[in-house]
This record gives sequence, C-alpha cells and structure tokens, in this order.
Amino acid sequence: MLSEKANKTVKACRFCWMCRHLCPIGLKTGRENNTPRAKGILLDMAGHGEAYSVSMAEDMYECLLCGACAAGCETGFDPRIFIREARTKAVVEDVVPDYVQAVIDNLTETGNLWGIPSEKKAEALSPWSKDKAEVILYAGETAALKTPQMVETAAKLLAAAGVDFATLRDEPSSGAMLGDLIGYVDDTAACAKILAEAIASAGAKTVVVLDPADANVMKQEYPQWGIELGADVVTATAYFAELAAQGRLNPAKVTVADATYHDPDRLARDLDETQPARDLLAAMGIAWKEMFFNRDMVRSCGEQAVKAHSPKIVALTAAGRWEDVDRCGRKTVITASPSDYEILSADIPKGYAVEDLFALLAKACGL
Amino acid sequence: MAGRKIGKGLYLMQINELLYQFIRSELEDAVGGENVSTRSSDLLVHSVDYFFVSRMWEDRGKNTPQPDFVVRPGSAQEVSKVLKIANYYQIPVTTWGGGSGSQGGALPVAGGIVLDTKRMNRILDFNPNSMCVTVETGANFQQLEWYANERGYSLMHYPSSMNCATVGGFLAHRGIGVLSTKYGKIDDMTVSLEIVLPNGDIIESSPVPKHAAGPDLAQIFIGSEGTLGVMTKVTLRLYEKPETRRFRAFLFKNVTDGIACGRDILRKVKPSIMRLYDEAETVSIIKEVLGFAAPGAFMNIAVEGMTEIVDIEERIILETCAKYEAQDLGHEYGEKWWDSRVTFFYPGHALDLPKMYGTLDTVATYDNIEKIYHAKKKAIADNFEGVRYIAHFSHWYEWGCMIYDRFIMDHPPEDAVECIQLHNRIWNVSVRASLANGGVVNDHHGVGIKLGHLMKEQYGPGMQVFEALKEKLDPNHIMNPCKLGL
Repeated sequence: MLSEKANKTVKACRFCWMCRHLCPIGLKTGRENNTPRAKGILLDMAGHGEAYSVSMAEDMYECLLCGACAAGCETGFDPRIFIREARTKAVVEDVVPDYVQAVIDNLTETGNLWGIPSEKKAEALSPWSKDKAEVILYAGETAALKTPQMVETAAKLLAAAGVDFATLRDEPSSGAMLGDLIGYVDDTAACAKILAEAIASAGAKTVVVLDPADANVMKQEYPQWGIELGADVVTATAYFAELAAQGRLNPAKVTVADATYHDPDRLARDLDETQPARDLLAAMGIAWKEMFFNRDMVRSCGEQAVKAHSPKIVALTAAGRWEDVDRCGRKTVITASPSDYEILSADIPKGYAVEDLFALLAKACGL
Repeated sequence: MAGRKIGKGLYLMQINELLYQFIRSELEDAVGGENVSTRSSDLLVHSVDYFFVSRMWEDRGKNTPQPDFVVRPGSAQEVSKVLKIANYYQIPVTTWGGGSGSQGGALPVAGGIVLDTKRMNRILDFNPNSMCVTVETGANFQQLEWYANERGYSLMHYPSSMNCATVGGFLAHRGIGVLSTKYGKIDDMTVSLEIVLPNGDIIESSPVPKHAAGPDLAQIFIGSEGTLGVMTKVTLRLYEKPETRRFRAFLFKNVTDGIACGRDILRKVKPSIMRLYDEAETVSIIKEVLGFAAPGAFMNIAVEGMTEIVDIEERIILETCAKYEAQDLGHEYGEKWWDSRVTFFYPGHALDLPKMYGTLDTVATYDNIEKIYHAKKKAIADNFEGVRYIAHFSHWYEWGCMIYDRFIMDHPPEDAVECIQLHNRIWNVSVRASLANGGVVNDHHGVGIKLGHLMKEQYGPGMQVFEALKEKLDPNHIMNPCKLGL
C-alpha cells in the first residue's frame, strides 16, 4: 500500500516522460525502465492487480535518488516519494532482489553498506574521538571507511581554525543509506534516534557533516520524524567557507590546472547549497570552468547504496559525469563529497584527475 | 514460422517454449545478452505509450499489449541482425524510441519484438562548417539540443516533447516544433538519413537533400512510422542562435481576419512563431492579458534573427496587422508564454485522464483551412454531446496553415470499451470533416494505429504506392503491423 502522496505522484508520473532527459541512469543505459515514468506505471499496474514482482522491485532499486527528475518537474512532483515507498513495499512483500538484500543486511548488521566490521569505523575515527565537544565532526561511513584521508583533512582544518571538535566514538549511522534502501520507515527513524542521542550526549552545539547525503537526512528528514538534534547541522562546505570568511582559515593561492567543479547532487538540489564550495575555490584563487550541467542541474555521478548493490550502474553514471568533464574541456574535477570523490576516483579516465575540495583547502592553508 | 497469419501479411506471435528459447538465443547473439529482455517489468513498461487509448486502457486496469521481447540494439549493424532474425521467424517488430507519440505508433499490438533504440544515442559528427550534426536516432532530443547549445548553436526544433522523445521518433512521424514557421518541420531539417531495411540491408539516402538524383529516399522513410524500416542515423541542420527574438500579440475581430492577416504576413516575412487562437480559446487568454474579457481572436507572433532584419520584419507585421484593425497588445504575453511553453505539458497542467481528449491537427491551403475549422467544430457539436472543441492555428506557410484543434470530453464513459468506441467515432467524424474540405489525416503527430484506417480515404488509389513499397520492402509484414494503414 502506497501513501496517498505517493499514489498521487504515481498517477502524475505514470504517463509522463518530461524528466526523461535528466535521469543520469536512463541517459547512460538507454533502458526504458530507467525512467521515473516506467516506475510510476509499474506501480500503477501493481495497483490494478499486476503482481509486484522482483522484476518490478529491481527497477525501483535502479535509481540514484538524485532528484534530477524532481528538480526538472514544472509541477513539482517528486518521483522519489513513490520510489522509496516502493522499496519499502519490496521489503514488506519480500521481493527485494537478493543482491540488494545483501546490502541491506550489511547495513543492519554492521551499520555500513559493505559489511565492514563496525569496529573499523570506530578505529578510523579514534584519533579524534572524545566524549564531549562543542562541534561534532560527523564523518559518515563512506568517509570513515572508504576515504579516511578526507576525515583527517577535515580534522586538520578544524584544528587549524581553533575549533573545539570531536568525532563520535562508535559513530552511529545517520540512516541516510537505510532510508534510501528500505524507505523512511520506523527502522530508519530508530537508527536516526541513536545518532541523535549520541550527539546530545556529546553536548555538541554544531554538527559539521562531511557527506551531503548524511546532512540531507539530518536536516530534512529528522524533523519529520520528530527527532531534535539539539545542535545545528551544517555541511562541511558551508562550515569551512564560513571559517574562511571569518579569517579563521587563511587559504593562500593554489594552482589546479584545467579545473572544473562537480556539485554533489544532494548538496545542490536537496540542500540548495551551491555557493560555499565556489567561495572556497575563489578564496584559493582556483580558476575553474563550470560544466554545462552544474548547480541544481548537476548530473549525478552515482550513489553509494546503488554502487554497493549495482556497481555496473554507477560505473556508467560516473562515466557519464566524466563525459561532462570532457565536454567542458577540463581535466581535473574538484568535488566536496566523500561519496562522489570515491565514485569518481574508482575509474579515472587516463589523463584526468579528481581532487577533494577540502584537501585543496588544507594545502592552501599550509597543512 | 513463429507467427500465425491472420490477415493480409499480419502475424501474431504463437510459438512454443522451445522455439521461443532458440529465438531468444539468436537475439542475444545479435545484440548481447544484457540487451534482450523478457523480464515482466520490461514488457509491461513497453505496453503503454502516450496514446490516449493506451493510457485509458491501462488506467481502467485492462491488459495492455505487451511485446514478447525487448531488444536494444546498439548500432545499425545490430538492428540489421535483429531484422534478419525477425524476418526468418516472421516475428513482428515495433520500433520504440521515447514511446511519447500520441497515435499509438509505438504500441506492440501484435506482440513480437519491441526494438528500443535508445542505446543508439551517440553524436557522431558536429560540423559547424556545413551547419549540420550527425546523430544516432536513439538520442534524446533535448540532450542533443543542449550539446548544440554548448557550442553556440541550436537545432531550432522545439516541440514540447523534446524532453522525452528521441530523434528517430520525430523523424518517424514528421514532427514539428513551435518555431517551424521559420525553420521548418523535421523533414525540412533533415540533410541525410541511414536506414536499415526490413531485410537487414543498411542503406543511405543521398548525402544532401536538394538534388535531381531521383525521388528523395530520405523523405520516403521520414513519416513511415517504422513500417518500412528502421532509421538509425540522421544528419540534421544546425542554426545559429538568433541575435534577437521579439514577441508581439494582437487581438483580431475574428478568426477570419486573423487567418487573412497571417496569410498576408507570410507573403512578406517568416515569423518564427505565429499562433492564432479561435474565439473560444481567446476568452481565457485575453482575460489574462487585458485583465478583462474581450471578444475576438488572439494572435501571438515572434520574429527572430539578426536585429536589423527583425526590425524590418516587425515593422511589416505591425503594418499588416494594422490593416486588419488588430489591437496591438504588446510583447509581455509572448515572452511569458515562451518561458512557460513546456509547462503546459507537465502533469497538473496537461490534459489528462479522466478526461477524454485528442489533438485533431490537420493542414490545408488558405482556401480551405477556415472551412475545415467550421466543419469540424460543427461536426463535433452536432454529433457528440458533452464534447468541447478548441482550436488555434500555429504553423504557417505561404500556401496555408495548420490547425491545432482539440476535442475535450470532461466525463467520458467509465467502461473502457465504450470509451474507446466513442473516442474512435469522434476521430472518424473529425478527420472526415478535414478530408472532405481539403485537409489531411494529420499534420504532425502522425498516423499510428489511431488513424491508419483513414489513410485510404485520404489517398484513394494513391495508397497503392505506399502499399507497393510495403510489399516490396517488407513482404512478411513484420514491421510495425497495424500502423499507418499498411
């Protein structure tokens, strides 16, 4: 059973293809089922009695939830509403594809998509873990387990700016990936509550969040679930841009040849934040050229949950984003998201490079 | 053979499981295993296109016509292999680009293979020297347009479906865009074409259109809606983006004056946009423009290009409209309309179920177009209670113009069969009113399954030319059966 809002969106999207030109998966695979319209009509057919099959569920999971479709809809419909609920339906009706279930099991057992023992995350964050701090640096599982250098960089920057910060011991998951995989259901909210308690226990006034996917769920969904963090949630880009504006970080000029900037989709669209990263680039004197699809028109390079269960799909979407880099005539893409950094780094075309915005900032600050 | 002959060359899929698996193996061998699907969700998704009946059928919970295989070739060579297999086993093949046509052209009504072209999406050559771009026909048109925009050019083909349609889809049904009065229809914009014939041969049209080397091969296939072969590659014209685009709106006393003025304008200049609304449609527009109701026929015009030329064209238009005592309503409406012209096609703005509706478009000479408008309006009013008729005239030529008219029924029958029967009767009456007064079956949406039965009424003995082509090129009648009246 889909909610009334999801059903209304299904009815709107089932015969409409007006966002087809924006879906990063559909544009690369060319598959008709990789469109919000296809997902809408399948759910409509399921509503008429067609069996909600594993085949349908597979299609529901082939979506980055990047929001390009929602941003492009002139009426404001958001297919992600019914796609997430369709994933919940898949769980309830036991039609989750095996390869997706394996990732869900990893999440529920270890708190991360890859089944890496949870102690590894604690270990990765241990250099900065304290019981109490004014500012919590929330690393997220991708940064802690896949791009730990980004956590170290963020920590150096915070320390250099004189910020009293800490990472959480046994940092709980934000629920972002669980919410993407099984929907915004009680289990996901329960996950969020654990994090909220940990933050409250640390006495933090501010949570600086490294991964936009985590920031998005904390800022947008936690209030919907009645979860009060008792602290301001700030994206790492916005926080460091503010530190630079206050003069607490003083970046010198750095040179990055042939640069362009890739907006993380959750940051640009869901959080409506595109300028702080650009302010940081400007503060470092980096000349970059915008890609054609930039800011809220960004073409997503991929998403960690989809990468975990369908790596070939994300290999395609990442390749699509590299094509955009090439189209703007640049060779180096700078990004400000551990997830996107990890995805773009997985297969860098020869002669191209990917840079972490925060690493550049650390370099510019002489760290 | 895999099909059962049920009529003139029509086969329906009727095979046993063993043969089915052999066919599947051959298709996978041709295009790669990952590009052949029999997944239930793939078949279902390709069983409903943008055609009203198709959508209504699904909305009412009826079984929609599914293919047996969804095959996604990545090149003309792969298309060739697939068509050879289809011919050998006599399997129907329906080409599917975006599925966003309104005439049921992409519906796999006889089952068989849906040939989804969207893997063939590469831009192969961008040539500003010759002002053309070569692209595979499975490319999304908006993506192609953006590619051209990045380089300072445009294809100037702006139908509202460009977000969702493929290049091939526009070619298949002779599509049109809002700027067509100046830049032409898709057939005008085509320089050359590559086609895979039903027998698998890959052919090329002439490299350029304006020649004296026999009939135009490209134009034989443009508008053939997948019944004569599969178009796989096209070279389209490029245009420089206009230096200026200027809008002006007018209120004429009536449609007659508006059409006459439009004709007079086309004798001297080519606006890019000229949309004349009938009195019924004008009522709602004029309230928005003037803030109060006023009778008449509203016209929205745009001219574009080099500023000094646009200045002259605008002056000519103002003088011509003044001769018809049209009220000059300024430029704001046109600019606002331009910015939101695609909004009308999003859910909540577009016509949608539970209403029943259709766009009855036709094109005719200036002698006939107004007669057609009145004839259709009367035919609908006289025969169908509860059905409204609205119209505007929006693509203009020196010899005539098209009418973009629609019927709308707010409360159609709930029963799907009754609904489809009524729908078809409305279409028959409307199109016959066009044909009786010098019009054609359709202006730019195509024929599909919806209007195929009316093709012979338009062409009479001329239909044998199409039928002869069909017999020669597709003797097994596997290509998009039941479409185009072939």
